[in-house]
Amino acid sequence: MARRYLRLLGAQLRIAGLVSLQYRADFFTDGLLSLFWLGVNVAPLAVVYGRRETLAGWSFPEALIVIGWFTWLKGILDGAVNPCLTAIVEHIRKGTLDFVLLKPADAQFLVSTAKFAPWRGVDSVGGLLLLAFAFVRLQRWPTPGAVLAALLLLCTAVALLYSLWLIAISVAFWVVRLDNLAFLFGSVFDAARWPVSVFRGAWRFLFTFVIPLAILTTYPSLALLGRLDARTGLFAVLGTLAFFVLARQIWRRAILHYSSASS
Amino acid sequence: MPAAFSAASIEVRELRKHYQVHRRSAGLWAALRSVARRPRETVRAVDGISFSIAPGERVGFLGPNGAGKTTTLKLLAGLLYPSSGRLRVAGFEPFRREAEFLRKITLVMGQKQQLLWDLPPLETFELNRALYEIPRRQYDETLGELTELLDLGRIARSPTRQLSLGERMKCELCAALLHRPEVLFLDEPTIGLDVSMQLSLRRFVRAYNERFGATVLLTSHYMDDVLALCPRVVVIDRGTIRYDGDLGSLVRTLRPEKLVSVRFSAPVPPAEFGRFGKLQNAEGDRAVFLFPQDALQAGVARILAELPLADLSIEDPPLEEVMRELFAASARDEGPAPGGAP
Repeated sequence: MARRYLRLLGAQLRIAGLVSLQYRADFFTDGLLSLFWLGVNVAPLAVVYGRRETLAGWSFPEALIVIGWFTWLKGILDGAVNPCLTAIVEHIRKGTLDFVLLKPADAQFLVSTAKFAPWRGVDSVGGLLLLAFAFVRLQRWPTPGAVLAALLLLCTAVALLYSLWLIAISVAFWVVRLDNLAFLFGSVFDAARWPVSVFRGAWRFLFTFVIPLAILTTYPSLALLGRLDARTGLFAVLGTLAFFVLARQIWRRAILHYSSASS
Repeated sequence: MPAAFSAASIEVRELRKHYQVHRRSAGLWAALRSVARRPRETVRAVDGISFSIAPGERVGFLGPNGAGKTTTLKLLAGLLYPSSGRLRVAGFEPFRREAEFLRKITLVMGQKQQLLWDLPPLETFELNRALYEIPRRQYDETLGELTELLDLGRIARSPTRQLSLGERMKCELCAALLHRPEVLFLDEPTIGLDVSMQLSLRRFVRAYNERFGATVLLTSHYMDDVLALCPRVVVIDRGTIRYDGDLGSLVRTLRPEKLVSVRFSAPVPPAEFGRFGKLQNAEGDRAVFLFPQDALQAGVARILAELPLADLSIEDPPLEEVMRELFAASARDEGPAPGGAP
């Protein structure tokens, strides 16, 4: 079973690669845009830290780590998640989701791996450079254990991002006109560029428990800095697992709704 | 599997699909009111239909727009969940969408495409090979056969966006049949195609059906498709079956007359026509007479003997006319059409 789906993933990635080769100009525009956005992302930090040494306990280079992580994840969001999101909404609108549902493979897997924009991977490289720069400014490097914990949390962050995305597209089955969905999703995700401790009161609760953006960038950054306690790490992994199960359930309900309502 | 289902490829009993839809009248006030309260209405897209199709049969599924044809096809393909009733396709309950079931069927929709727009159709074929887990040897063999039957040649290697509508439809059929399905649901497969392309697709569907013994259920607005492919038709209107049986007897029941078309070799005064039978129309050196079946032989004999003829042909009335009459009768609520209704 796992081998079959790995083979299918290979086939889907191959197609995505071939399609993106048709649009080679995107590589250059995406690359340039990515550099531009890297600058835009760092600018507010520079402004804030121009007047103070720390913000909610985070120094400038430490906050840069959060931004670096955010940029890396944004590369994944734009490269692998958003293209599928746009494609599924298009499928529902045009009625071609029928073809996906008629294939003898899990429909969730098929729609989740249908489209990639590999050129957007440039963002991820930018994110890594930013992380390296931040550690140079900190004048120390993370321990191997910290890197390992951060990589585990990267997987958690991607799984969480994916679950949030799956919940969002499931909504598309009820409300077909979702042109702004990707935009809304991007805007919420944008808040993850700040360490979650920057937010106070209701916002902090919202971004930790309801839309757990803390898991996306703050916790992996803390792990890299060696400041994340094991209990919080475990909470992140279990929380993500719960989100994943919830997302799968909502998706299944959505497919059932599609099957019983459309013609 | 119940014994009753064992012999049939498709078995449908009292199948229903009802939808709840919101209804509101036109105008701003109605729009505002509908925000607070949305009256619902039940649409009976499919309302208690029953039929069964044997393996290898080719059946035409006919009806006016909104009759319930596509809904029924989607129910049979497992894309929709039935409101009530029983159905089996190739031994499976479609709505469970088991992988084994999906490997046995295919759905081709003339108005929707599965081909990847930016890549040559060959890439879609390759993706379907992975999805259906078709062994390489069988894939090469089937692709070879389909390429020959559909005359695909170089078009499978050109980007889909550069192909004509007809070429794309050929490739759609190829993509849909690579896994050698036992049951083909074809929803308006020839829509928008020119006459020669329609002809070649019909020839292909018939060849596939004969070579692989596949069951074919076809919907089409082109009566020529139905005439060429389907010995049996199921006519559906407003969610219920109006006729199920042999195409020839449907035509004979609804329009018992035969059309006798003649071309004269010398001018004939129009006043003469009345002597031979009911005249449908006359123009220049041509005339068309209508004869009831039992008077046909005598009528034709008289025309041959008494009129100066260059040519004579005997035909059934065009299927389009027959269908128009059937649907008009159904709209007037005159009860089910005569014939072999289930």
